[in-house]
Amino acid sequence: MSEGAALLEVAGVHVAFGGVQALDGVSFQVGPGEAVGLVGPNGAGKTTLFNVVTGQLRPDAGTVRFEGRPLGGVPSHRRARLGIARTFQRVEVFPELSPLEHVVVARRASRGEGSLWADLLGRGRLSPEEHRSALDLLRAVGLSSLAEVPVAALTLGQQRLVELARALALEPRLLLADEPSSGLDAAERASVARLLRRLVEARGTALLLVEHDLALVRQVVDRVLVLDSGALVAEGPFDQVVTDPRVRQAYLGRAAS
Amino acid sequence: MNALVSATVPGVTYGCEFGLMAVGLVLTYRATGVFNLAFGAQAFASAFVFDLLSRYEQVPEWAAFVVAVVLLAPAVGLALDRFLYRHVPARAAMARTVIAIAVLLAIPELIPLLFGTATRSRIGSLGLPANQVYFHLAGTPVTGSEITTVGVTVLAAVLLTGLLRGTRFGLRMRAVVESRRLAELEGVDAAAVSAAAWGLSSFLAGLAGVLLLPQMGSLDPTDPLAFTALLVAGLTAAAVASLRSVPWALGAGVLLGVLETVLQTELPANSVWSQGLLEALPFVLLVGVLLVNPRLRTLERSQDPLAGVDPPPPPPSVSVRDARLAGPMRWGFRLLLVAFVVSSLTWVPGNWVFSLGQGLVLSVIFLSVVVVTGMGGQLSLCQATFAGIGAFAAGQLASHLGLSVLLGALVGAAIAAAVGTVVALVAARASGLLLTLVTLAFALFADSVLFQFSWSGGGYSGVTVPRPVLGPVSFVSDRAFLLLALVVLVVVMGLVVLVQRGTTGRVLAALRGSPVGAASVGVWEARAKVTVFALSAAVAGLGGALFGSIQGPISSSDFQYTVSLAFVVVVLTTGVQTVEGAVQAGMAYAVIGQALTYLPSRFSGVEFLLFAAGALTYAAHPEGIVEYQRTRWLQRANAVLAAWDTWRAGRGPGGEQGTDRARALPSAIGGEAG
Repeated sequence: MSEGAALLEVAGVHVAFGGVQALDGVSFQVGPGEAVGLVGPNGAGKTTLFNVVTGQLRPDAGTVRFEGRPLGGVPSHRRARLGIARTFQRVEVFPELSPLEHVVVARRASRGEGSLWADLLGRGRLSPEEHRSALDLLRAVGLSSLAEVPVAALTLGQQRLVELARALALEPRLLLADEPSSGLDAAERASVARLLRRLVEARGTALLLVEHDLALVRQVVDRVLVLDSGALVAEGPFDQVVTDPRVRQAYLGRAAS
Repeated sequence: MNALVSATVPGVTYGCEFGLMAVGLVLTYRATGVFNLAFGAQAFASAFVFDLLSRYEQVPEWAAFVVAVVLLAPAVGLALDRFLYRHVPARAAMARTVIAIAVLLAIPELIPLLFGTATRSRIGSLGLPANQVYFHLAGTPVTGSEITTVGVTVLAAVLLTGLLRGTRFGLRMRAVVESRRLAELEGVDAAAVSAAAWGLSSFLAGLAGVLLLPQMGSLDPTDPLAFTALLVAGLTAAAVASLRSVPWALGAGVLLGVLETVLQTELPANSVWSQGLLEALPFVLLVGVLLVNPRLRTLERSQDPLAGVDPPPPPPSVSVRDARLAGPMRWGFRLLLVAFVVSSLTWVPGNWVFSLGQGLVLSVIFLSVVVVTGMGGQLSLCQATFAGIGAFAAGQLASHLGLSVLLGALVGAAIAAAVGTVVALVAARASGLLLTLVTLAFALFADSVLFQFSWSGGGYSGVTVPRPVLGPVSFVSDRAFLLLALVVLVVVMGLVVLVQRGTTGRVLAALRGSPVGAASVGVWEARAKVTVFALSAAVAGLGGALFGSIQGPISSSDFQYTVSLAFVVVVLTTGVQTVEGAVQAGMAYAVIGQALTYLPSRFSGVEFLLFAAGALTYAAHPEGIVEYQRTRWLQRANAVLAAWDTWRAGRGPGGEQGTDRARALPSAIGGEAG
């Protein structure tokens, strides 16, 4: 991967919460259409890193570039409009809206559509075409039968799928998926894995995947980053990285000692 | 220098009153999780009873103190906890603020109902003889009441700080506020702890009331809300303390008191400075502190980890409705509308026509609450102020430029929208309780400063808004005006529904659910918030202009902050999520008000009972009473329809499927009907 071709470039990011170094000089790159796994024990700083990339958290030091453009000072919603989508470890759905409306809101908001004037003139309603394409997207994640049910009535697993559909509605260049399979049963996990892989291969979306289910990570990603106590300790193909002694120590070392 | 000192001594006493108010707000917020705007009204109730007993009933002072402060005040707190706050679902943070406002409005209704309306001017005091001078400080006499106030305030602050920070009970109170369920899992009796917290904070309210008595000139039982200065300064000091720290609240209160007294004595009298600045200064300070103090932004950020245990909020009643009921209900509504128009044009007596017209106009104003609170998810306490802006603009334009009232109403709406935009921009980074407080500060500012000029509120004489005349069509008569109001209401309702079902409405629903999630798909929260505020202000401004037009002469008192508070309580208890809720609230407000005029005057406090009854249902059903009742009726109707389906299914083939569908519908969305 050459220097200028990186889609996402994270350089020297530091984040401290009080006395705890959540991220300690993290640097890496993700190329266009590349699927990268981000693994590490709980508390390693994975979600913090996501928050820095999506702009929910301002790093104490370091830069994040997207398509070569520095993102410092760019607010969250602008980053989403640039093509960075994410899902959340603790689901952040809109309980009053249906899955269909999640997709519609995401589509319109990410394009900056829908002014108050348009609404007042009656142009804010769902067009049949919009309805159809939203349903297509929901079918792809396996939610078409629940498209009109308020999300508050869905299970946690289904809500994760809603988040995924919502993120995909942005047609993102980069998707940050934060434990998309937790709370899902085996069949749902398999379908999420297939979905993510298809996303990368067919649409050329870059993926940064945080996941504890290593089998799923192995299935989906091209490359793995290992984060421990806020620092990257290993990087490379999955099979090579899991045998790395530093990685074994990160996962098992402190528990064993 | 000597003048400074002589201003400081009374300033400290004055400041202790602010401090006591602030300490009360902080304590209640930390111990119960409620921002108790009714604290001042509770204080007044105790002060009133103390005064009644000690001065008029010849009860010894200590006995009066025991009854008013030691017994009555905590009893009020326990009752509030037992009958209201305990029933509010954990997720409904806004409902708690609204209930506090309802209590604030109900107490002034209750006191005259119990004790009559005579104003009392001989005021008793607590502790040392009030006017005796005990010693001189730098040449300034220090009186008994000053010593008592300062002494008791400092003592209360020290004890409360110790209680909150250093005792197990304090820890438990904070735990229960954070997560009632989690505290219960740890073996804390949450009900007892929150009852004790309410008892304690209400005791403090009673104490504050009795201490502040000697400083008030007189006690008017119908107007305990007159102490705006105390409220503003108390809020400011509480905001300096981030609603967290008792010592900071006291310190800030004292500082404000000294500042105000020094400015009053040091600034030259009758200059522009002392008149303009001194009046606006408290509000500027309040808004400044609210926006600058970064710790206030994290006020409601901590989430109950067990919030998910609560059942989700009930679905809107419309979604519960069986599809077969849609047609009959639509026709029933149309029939009702025609009957309403025909009746009000023909047989309804004149005074009722006026009231119904008022109801329609209020419905328009109430729609602005539906927009900002129902859709925007923010509690605004300055909707009457926006209405006032619209009304005064229409009136001033009509009287000075001869502009048509209908045109003036639109201009007024536009001005209100502009002001609403400014308020929203100033408070762009605030939300939840903090935003509510900013709107309250703005409403108080408008009351005391903005609406007092001759070019705005018209000063003492007020402003007269004429009835509109459109070419050959005159809306001067009450009946004609009622029709006009109905047309405007229907148009505005339609527009609000369009916004609700359009992108803006959905984006706002997304923001109510998860601001972080909304930002992750490109929703610009600040813009959405400014939009909804501007729209709401415009609707309120338009409604306000119509209100002015139906009333004729209006003045700033028609749009006081208490009016905003009443609007909020009425609309939220009725139902703020739908446009119908606003209309039901508006009509109920006007019709009940008119109906009460038939009762003998001493029953005027019946309004209190209505408020109280409303609050009782609202506490358990924050979606609104009408919405709750309608859901229940629809569920019953569904059950009847389902029974009918079952009966039919037993008689012929093919009915089976229909039964399943009718049963599946309510259960799919979590309804109770079986």
